[in-house]
Amino acid sequence: MVMVVAKSKETEAVWRIEALRSVLKEVHSLFVMFHGSIRPMLDKEPGGGLIRSHLYTFVMDYLSDFLMGNKFLLPNFRDSLKERGTVQMLTVGREAAIEVQSLVGALDSCMGNTLGYSMILFQDLLVSTTLTPDDTVNLFSYGILRLTPRVLSSGGSTWSYLRKGNASSHTEPGSLFANTGSAFDQGFRDASSVGGDNYRIVRPLQHGKWSRGKDGFLVTDIWGVEVGNLVPTTPTIWLQQTEHKMYLCAYQHKSLTIILLIPVTSMLNGEEGISMLKQQLLENASAKIFKVEEKLAKGWGGENAYHVKGYRYLLVDGDRNISRASPAGKVTTLTKESLLALNKVREDVDLERNRAKGDCVDPEKDLEICIRAKNNAWVIARATRGKELYIVLEKANETLLYASEAVEKFSDRYCNGAFSLD
Amino acid sequence: MFGNTSSSQPTVGFGGSGALSHTYIQYPPLRCRNDGSRGLFYDDGNKLLISPTSDKVVSWKTSPFTPDVAPTTDTISEGPVLSVRYSLDAKIIAVQRSNHEVQFWVRETGDTFSQKCRSESGSILGFFWTDCAVCDIVFVKTSGLDLYTYVPELKSLDLVETKKMNVSWYIYTHESRLIVIASGMQCKSFTGYQLSSAGIIRLPRFEMAMAKSDANSKPVLAAEDVHIVTVYGRIYCLQVDRVAMLLHSYRFYRDAVIQQGSLPVYSSKIAVSVVDNVLLVHQVDAKVVILYDIFADSRTPVSAPLPLLIRGLPRTSISSSQSSRKDAESSETTLLTDTASHLYSDDWNFLVPCLVCDVSTGFLWKIHLDLEAISASSSEVPSVLEFLQRRKLEAKKAKQLCLELARSLIIERRPLPMVFRAIEVLVNSFSYSLKTGSYSKGGKSEKHTVPGVSENSVGTSTSDNISGADASGKSIKTEPTSGVDRRTVHNSGFSTSDSEDNANFKKAKAKFFDINSSSGNIDRETSVGAVASRIGDHSMASESQLHDNQPLNANVSEQQDSEVTSAAIPPDELYNFVFASVEEEMIADASYLFAIIVEFIRSANLEKIKLHPNIYVMAVRLLGRNERYAELGQFILNKIIEPSKEVALQLLETGRQNIQTRKLGLDMLRQLQLHHDYVVLLVQDGCYLEALRYARKNKVNSVRPALFLEAAYASNDPQRLAAVLRFFRDFIPGFGTTSEHSTYIRALADMHSSIAV
Repeated sequence: MVMVVAKSKETEAVWRIEALRSVLKEVHSLFVMFHGSIRPMLDKEPGGGLIRSHLYTFVMDYLSDFLMGNKFLLPNFRDSLKERGTVQMLTVGREAAIEVQSLVGALDSCMGNTLGYSMILFQDLLVSTTLTPDDTVNLFSYGILRLTPRVLSSGGSTWSYLRKGNASSHTEPGSLFANTGSAFDQGFRDASSVGGDNYRIVRPLQHGKWSRGKDGFLVTDIWGVEVGNLVPTTPTIWLQQTEHKMYLCAYQHKSLTIILLIPVTSMLNGEEGISMLKQQLLENASAKIFKVEEKLAKGWGGENAYHVKGYRYLLVDGDRNISRASPAGKVTTLTKESLLALNKVREDVDLERNRAKGDCVDPEKDLEICIRAKNNAWVIARATRGKELYIVLEKANETLLYASEAVEKFSDRYCNGAFSLD
Repeated sequence: MFGNTSSSQPTVGFGGSGALSHTYIQYPPLRCRNDGSRGLFYDDGNKLLISPTSDKVVSWKTSPFTPDVAPTTDTISEGPVLSVRYSLDAKIIAVQRSNHEVQFWVRETGDTFSQKCRSESGSILGFFWTDCAVCDIVFVKTSGLDLYTYVPELKSLDLVETKKMNVSWYIYTHESRLIVIASGMQCKSFTGYQLSSAGIIRLPRFEMAMAKSDANSKPVLAAEDVHIVTVYGRIYCLQVDRVAMLLHSYRFYRDAVIQQGSLPVYSSKIAVSVVDNVLLVHQVDAKVVILYDIFADSRTPVSAPLPLLIRGLPRTSISSSQSSRKDAESSETTLLTDTASHLYSDDWNFLVPCLVCDVSTGFLWKIHLDLEAISASSSEVPSVLEFLQRRKLEAKKAKQLCLELARSLIIERRPLPMVFRAIEVLVNSFSYSLKTGSYSKGGKSEKHTVPGVSENSVGTSTSDNISGADASGKSIKTEPTSGVDRRTVHNSGFSTSDSEDNANFKKAKAKFFDINSSSGNIDRETSVGAVASRIGDHSMASESQLHDNQPLNANVSEQQDSEVTSAAIPPDELYNFVFASVEEEMIADASYLFAIIVEFIRSANLEKIKLHPNIYVMAVRLLGRNERYAELGQFILNKIIEPSKEVALQLLETGRQNIQTRKLGLDMLRQLQLHHDYVVLLVQDGCYLEALRYARKNKVNSVRPALFLEAAYASNDPQRLAAVLRFFRDFIPGFGTTSEHSTYIRALADMHSSIAV
């Protein structure tokens, strides 16, 4: 895939290549998750009509999330304290964590011997997953985009680490890309009628298509409606590593979203089996779900729970694809200079990392960058054994020692000392 | 079949414990037969079976129950015997001679005296000794109760109090210290008194319900239809309603008698026993037993009605090779042959709490629960576990059974929710036993009481006040409730305005009888069965010893058995005997086992029980086996798996397949400040400089320089070796002069030359 970004003189148009690349990566992984690999599709129809029509709608739907009003905004330097393609975890105490795992066990037993997977979200944060890290990232991204309570109660006032405010401002792709889109749509429709194949395009990223049913399960007609009884078809996705096709079944209780993945091959009686499973979930797990929700809600520190006073930070755990950052609202208080400096530092770190990868020398080399920006802010980057930490200190003392101690303190308190230089 | 029996060993009648029966009596019975016997009496205060002859009283101890116990014989004067009871200190024998006279023998001196009642004041229905603080012996007469104290100096009884009322009949059990008196035309109005050391508690009057067969009939309630039972330290009264075919139960509280619901009966004749707090309702006509465990007010029987089994019955056909001794017993053997058919015969008398006496043969049987059969009879394992966990008498066996049940649950891959509940039951039960102290002190608290008791019995024989006081002091420590009771005795000295010396006397007496004072106290609404049952157990244990004049060693065997005083299973044992033992077999199903372990951790966490690192190590191993590394990460980060060195090492082990997991192990070592291990591992990973920096920062002196040097040398990288050498030269004084230094300097030079080449 290639991404072409128009270079503009606009001051805001300062990008970090790696950030743009991760957008591309994300849309690709999501596409593969919903439609499977591109190659088999091409093999199926070498003319490319099939894959082109799928890609077109999918990418358009995806890009619609980057529309702010009628402006198209790609992640720029202002998003330097965010890391696309990672999940954000909810930090829970041991007791709550045990309750969560007990719920995971209950979900497992609901799925019987089918080797299903579960993922639990609280608000926009991941609580638990039994998926591999890659699949977790993909499903998490989708969940945040389309399934969380905030998205469903569209235009909801609340917050998200990555996509604050985006959800309410979506526009149908057709309208904005009218000049190209409608013509393409036209062409596509012709093609389908000509081909006689009559494939319908599933558009998983279409906006406003998910809603919460009375029984708590999320429903959508994106995957069509079963002929006859008007029951929406259960969505299916592909797992990245195993390439298993899975039914996707989402349940929501207040702030808690539970996503179950059940292998299609194990559900011999299809939809009927799914509805039986749902029934089982309601019967056997709902007490636990309520309990967990209550517990998490009680312990939940709110939007600014992970704010650390005086620090603007981003912590990335590459091993587990996890990141944590200062809340978006707090990041906006940083000056443009600081953010630009940070953007630069991040580019350097990216470069260093890529070089290490290319040279096949220890990719987890320790690294420390500490710069003082024009506005006297400290911008610090540290990497050690697969973890990266970026910190911006604006109102800091001028000595390097101070800055380094501040990082040490942060590391000891919030990263289990992972960045405290030994 | 015949060949089998040629051995003189008694063979087991039925193949061990099948599902044929849940209760059994064990052959041989205690044979209470002597010539010229004039009937058998059971003295439940002393747990003696007494068989008087014309001029003797022969008695057998029934607690602890041993078939070959030797009888004790006392000589009394000739005369009719309506009933016999030993005083609670076993010093005096009381024999009811007629409706108006009770005769007493002081066993030590042979002195005798008798207490007569005037005929106009009603006839004596019976009498019993009591450890009540107010009196020593109570006569129950048709006109009411006479409460007497015994005055040893005068060798006579002193009337303390009379309670006037009409008495049709009464029942009393020493276990509950409760007398229930029936009056009225239908004998269904009841008055009750509990004569405990705390004083006399009068229960409110109450009526028992009786169904009528028709409108005009007025059924009369018979004494044999009412039973007092003590389970879990609570006192119940059970009443058979022959018309409705129901067994009504009433529970006695200090200030109320509350009907508790009814159990169905399938026989017009009903007998009840209590074995280890399990209520056995014998349906005598149907010859079956139904078991109830009324701990949680549940009215559902533990199991289906099943017959009573005789275990260990010898075969009837006696081979010729048997000794003449056997021949002498042959008449008895023939008696035994039809013991099976004798089950629930009319000659069977059920004695409180769990004995059966066949008056026609003079056999005394003790009823046992077959825990194995009970546990095998139900598939509802969690409730079986609950049942087993409450068993005290055969705690060791119950515990063993629990472990086996839990194990087989997992091996049979029963549905997870059921396994979860089973685990929860076991963990909760353990936590409960910790809270009540019956586990942690388990054996100890038992031993605590025992010396107290023995001292006490010494105290009685030598009438040494100090040791008596000492003993009661100990009983305060172990049994707070009884301590309180005792103190009220002490301080208030009974509101009856007695003279000083009298009070003094009572004080001494109170001390003496104190230990079993609170047994079967009518429990207050607030005192949960738990405390009560514990106290009940304690005092029962002490009681059984207190009244044995035999030295303690008579009890030794039972004492050792009861070292496991609770069936509660500590988490370590649950791990060792259940989880660890099934791990091998569950390799294919590691996630199933893992789910169970999570639930185990959860239950333990809820009860704030700390778990041994083993269990966490196992959790890591199981996750690793299924390659669920991401989840493993979550478990470690959330500290569900508590950090420990053992866990860290397992993470490193599992981390051979997964680098992230290895890092988790390293991090854990660092966070646990296991500096030495951490440094060694860093060196293994080739992070020499980091390891050195870390070692310097945390002052790790235990790692030898050679380790670093060898590793650096092995890496074949002169830069590294040089850096390491330099480090040691800078930070270890005198390192430059060691042989190590020169060795590696040379090695470094060689390296350089080889590179140059």
